[in-house]
Amino acid sequence: MTIFQAILIALLGYLGSIYGTFLFGTVGGWNMIGRPIVAGAVIGLILGDVKNGIIIGAAIQALYVGLVTPGMSVPGDVNFASYIGIPLALVSGASAEYAVAISVPLSLLGVAAIYSVATFNAVFVHQQEKWIAEGKLKQAARIPIYSNISEFVVRFIPIFAACYFGAEFVPNLIALIPESLADIFQVLGGILPAVGFGLLIKYTLKENRQLLYLLVGFLMIAVLNMPIIAVTIMALFIAFIDYQITSGRVGE
Amino acid sequence: MAKLDKKDIRKCYRNWITFSLGCQNMERMMAPAFVRMFGLVVDKLYDDEEEKKRCLQRHTQFFNTEEAMGAIIPGVILGMEEKRAEGEDIPDELIQSTKTALMGPFAGIGDSLIGGTFRPILCSIAMGLAAGGNLAGPLFYCVLWLGVMIPLTWILFSRGYKLGINATDMVFAGGRKDAITRGANLIGLMVVGAITAQYVTANTGWAYVSGDMTISLQGILDSILPCLLPLLLTLLAWYLLDKKSMKIGKVFLIFIVIAVVASLTGLLVI
Repeated sequence: MTIFQAILIALLGYLGSIYGTFLFGTVGGWNMIGRPIVAGAVIGLILGDVKNGIIIGAAIQALYVGLVTPGMSVPGDVNFASYIGIPLALVSGASAEYAVAISVPLSLLGVAAIYSVATFNAVFVHQQEKWIAEGKLKQAARIPIYSNISEFVVRFIPIFAACYFGAEFVPNLIALIPESLADIFQVLGGILPAVGFGLLIKYTLKENRQLLYLLVGFLMIAVLNMPIIAVTIMALFIAFIDYQITSGRVGE
Repeated sequence: MAKLDKKDIRKCYRNWITFSLGCQNMERMMAPAFVRMFGLVVDKLYDDEEEKKRCLQRHTQFFNTEEAMGAIIPGVILGMEEKRAEGEDIPDELIQSTKTALMGPFAGIGDSLIGGTFRPILCSIAMGLAAGGNLAGPLFYCVLWLGVMIPLTWILFSRGYKLGINATDMVFAGGRKDAITRGANLIGLMVVGAITAQYVTANTGWAYVSGDMTISLQGILDSILPCLLPLLLTLLAWYLLDKKSMKIGKVFLIFIVIAVVASLTGLLVI
């Protein structure tokens, strides 16, 4: 593969990743050229074999067709699977089955990439708050542009390296992350939302005893496993009762 | 007199769709995209520099939804903020609670309708058409995806904007502002409690082993209350931020230290 082809594939891989914004957000990126079947056609076009690109892309697509990424619970990431798996299989003349097989560890590597970027991006949030406080509002508004750099580094470099240096590079790539560091990132990613919620509670809570409402909402999911829409309807109902009581309508 | 024209609304829409996940992060999720959207129109909304700052500060709070169906929410909030800038006395917490109350349901609807239904159906048809390497498959997917998603997200956003304006008029015309603010706050609190159990993950790996007998600490905690550790961590963050008036950066560092120590000692595992 020429260096130009590798750069082009890595660039599209970044644009089609979940936090790469510049193809109209997820509409043209993650959900369009990020889909293996579309990626297969695009990569095939770059490498001069559209037909096999689509065949391999469709095979990987079959594996991930039902993959939803609700909230931050990411079960697999199709980005590396597509943009590393498809080009490697194409240039080595390997079968679609080979591409599907390597797409599994690659998708796990992709999940690690998602968590690292989302954990690191908290730095940008704090910078944004600092700029707002200093009155640099234009800069603060540009944070979601600047923050693309973390996604770019995490997507472009591995995809380029894997495409350019070839298949033997992929196992090294997966071994690149020491296990303990990956664990720390996952634990941190798990507890970090607590900080965001803590701040939200600070601004919503009027008096300490209202924490009871928080607890009721918590129990609806922690214990009752209710879907979030059902929780919201229950919350609406409880707020309605509160309204009836506080406005003295109950006795009427 | 409206402060924003059609062009501003379209600009806000484009920037929401483009940057909703541009600074996705574990702490506030999509909040930076909200700040960006208001940063683009804040000069039109307010003349006073302090008011501009406060407007952006309001939107630094945690926000997460499914970005396509949830595009209605930034629309609604844009309408509410415009009304506020025009002089309606909308309390900050009503704006915050509206966001909090709406984000859960639209995340649920969006994930199941777009990610769980529409996209897999399109992909499946595309895979069928792509048999033998036929370009019709990927083309079909792209054309239908864009053909549905662009109009859909625009309709949701622009209708949301009108809804935000009308709902504001309705609330204030009836003189029910305080009751509705209180109600929105309570709903917000319950939803925050619920998503605490959903988003915060913390399980302990500690166990007492004696011969064949293993008593896992997580098992004991679960029998007291499921998701107890996530709840305690969230309350700890709130306590430090609110009661101890700690700066967010400091709390952030404390949580990093907790993660490193707890992960290395096995106190918290994945």
